[in-house]
Amino acid sequence: MISRVTHQTVQRSTLANLQLNLSKMSDLQGRVSGGKVITKPSDDPAGTASSMRLRGDLRVTEQYARNAADGIGWLTTVDSSLQASITALRQARNLVVQGASSGTGNEVTRNAIATELEGLRDALLEQANSSYLGRPVFAGTTDGGAAYRVEVAPDGTRSYVWQGHDAGSVQRRIGPETQVRADSPGNAVFGDDAAGVETVFAMLDRIAAELRAGGEIGPRLDEIDARMNTMLGELASVGTRYKQLETGQQAMAKATADLKGQISAIEDIDLAEMLVELQAQEVAYQAALGATARVLQPSLLDFLR
Amino acid sequence: MSSFSGLSTALSSLIAQRQALEVAGQNIANANTKGYTRQRVDMQSVQALSAPSMFSAQVGAGNGVKVTGVTRVADLFLDARLRSATGTASYTANRADALARLETTLTEPADTGLAATLQAFWAAWQDVGNNPNDPAARKVLIGAADNAVKQIADGYRAVETQWIQARTEADTLVTDVNTTAQSVAHLNEQIRSILVSGGSANELMDERDRLITTLSGLVGAQARYRDDGTVDVMVGGNALVRGVVAHPIEAQGSHVMGIATATPGGPDAVRLVWSGTGAPVTLDGGRLSSVLESLAPEADGGHLAQAAARYDAIATALATKVNEVHGTAVRPGPDGTEVPGGDFFAFDAGKPAALGLRVAVTADLVAVGAPGGGPFDGTMADAISRLADAEGGPDALWRDFVVDLGVRARSAERRAQVTEAARSTAETLQLSSASVDLDEETINMLAFQRAYEGAARVMTAIDEMLDVLINRTGVVGR
Repeated sequence: MISRVTHQTVQRSTLANLQLNLSKMSDLQGRVSGGKVITKPSDDPAGTASSMRLRGDLRVTEQYARNAADGIGWLTTVDSSLQASITALRQARNLVVQGASSGTGNEVTRNAIATELEGLRDALLEQANSSYLGRPVFAGTTDGGAAYRVEVAPDGTRSYVWQGHDAGSVQRRIGPETQVRADSPGNAVFGDDAAGVETVFAMLDRIAAELRAGGEIGPRLDEIDARMNTMLGELASVGTRYKQLETGQQAMAKATADLKGQISAIEDIDLAEMLVELQAQEVAYQAALGATARVLQPSLLDFLR
Repeated sequence: MSSFSGLSTALSSLIAQRQALEVAGQNIANANTKGYTRQRVDMQSVQALSAPSMFSAQVGAGNGVKVTGVTRVADLFLDARLRSATGTASYTANRADALARLETTLTEPADTGLAATLQAFWAAWQDVGNNPNDPAARKVLIGAADNAVKQIADGYRAVETQWIQARTEADTLVTDVNTTAQSVAHLNEQIRSILVSGGSANELMDERDRLITTLSGLVGAQARYRDDGTVDVMVGGNALVRGVVAHPIEAQGSHVMGIATATPGGPDAVRLVWSGTGAPVTLDGGRLSSVLESLAPEADGGHLAQAAARYDAIATALATKVNEVHGTAVRPGPDGTEVPGGDFFAFDAGKPAALGLRVAVTADLVAVGAPGGGPFDGTMADAISRLADAEGGPDALWRDFVVDLGVRARSAERRAQVTEAARSTAETLQLSSASVDLDEETINMLAFQRAYEGAARVMTAIDEMLDVLINRTGVVGR
């Protein structure tokens, strides 16, 4: 259908075109100044879905990174305590060797060695009770403030009771399927007198008592070696877990950067592209204005006398 | 043929041309009047008297021109097309607008949306799990839970506010429809009486057509023209206006969202009926139709009711999932005992789930330990924080809702653009036939002016001829 063209239809269509151009321009301007391609879900529903998922992942990853940092704090404490304990135990071993070789000799020497052993026992106990942020690292979930409680029987025998819970361990989540143990089981490393597993402290007490009584303490060296091996084993395990957390931390730093990049790629504008588009739109608008000036001006009345 | 008949022929032309010039003047005067339809003078030549008698054998010119009427150059089919396009376009535009408004209340994707709040809530559980003895972490958790609860309630209220606005809009639009229909009926009456007495009611018809197009935009009305000059306005096959009588409609149903959307088709659901008979009104399009759709219960596709139900579902899912795990968790009691955690979230009775949701525990009553795991065990906190990825959990429900609404808003927007283009085309076509062209009117003015001049010259010529006959005849040889 060839339609009749009148001043009014020309005027209206011109106005509509100008309006369309202007609204496109304002839309582009809004995007450029806002910096976002997706300002509401309907701008790109699929992009919104990805963006929300990625934002969720980012938040989780950041939390895992916090967990890993916390876990590293715990394991550092465990690590240094174990190393100090091993050093102390090694000294104790030297003393036992000394005491065994001096045999039934000088009582003063034996007493001195026994006292020194008791001193090392205290040092070991202190390491076993070391804590991170107020929580003992060798009895993860206890609220007791220390991993070992000392009980003195009426006959003067001391026993060392582990305060931890067998079922409770301190775990740090660093991935959807990955948890890393951040504490160390004190009862496995140092023993628990209450559970019938002689503690390393009670053992040293026993050796000291035997030494004072003039007994033969040479066979005790094997016991000390066994303890030392347990601790070394735990130290290796702690090292492995520490490494795991550290690797996780690095991976998470990378994942965070990647996720941010992906979110930006979905949500943010390509500035150069947008500016070019804006420029093109501006030219179109100016052209429309120019055409308007030409079309709306003339009238037959200008040409009639 | 009489000697003087030429004079009256010229006179008829003078009168006709002057009248035509006046109509051109009227057209030019209304060149920019909305709804004005250009008019044309219909001229007809007057044929010579030819009485069939013995002596009337002479061959003569006609008896001049007469004006038979002033016609409105309106095209019924273009008008009908414009109305149908207007009904559809108003419907889709309103629908797109309503969805876009709902969409802006979501504030997604952003760091302030519900998704981010829920993520912060889950993350806070991890912190409490890491340090169950840290009161600060527990307070942060309770704060995050409160935030999530408030944001869900705020979202629900935003939906409710929109529903109430739409309900008021429905009432206003119904009043609009009724007054407009009444005006059309009045105009019908006036036009009919003017036409009966042989007058011209063109300007009233313009006004009536404009009102009917307004009705098309409101309720998708169609016009049916009758022989007596009146127009019936039909809505869904029934007459909103028949002749000089308007049949009013009314919106019935509750003004409270919870009540109106509870039972589909129930007595409280919002619906449109004919005031006279109480029969339901079916709409073919128009703004009111879209408003009523958005007020409908969820089962009938009301998008606001759907959104409210979704907020309820999210609140319920959040409470159920968290309570399920928190109920099995324990917190340290006196003397090394363990106290079960109980419910973390609770609902106030008598309110929608989204509004009734609240945090049921205080910071020191949050339970994060597994039974037998020790006082500072955080296993269950980890389990709760893992609910973020749970199937059918609040996060998944929210994401689905946001994306679904985004898709619907987008397609509604697209559809609105398409129907608006169709409406605009129909309007351009209608205007191209009905609107005044100044150039054309100028040409017409010239033509009428020249014809007027010509007729005047004819008159002078005849006058001069008669002068010869009357004043100079019989004076030969003088």
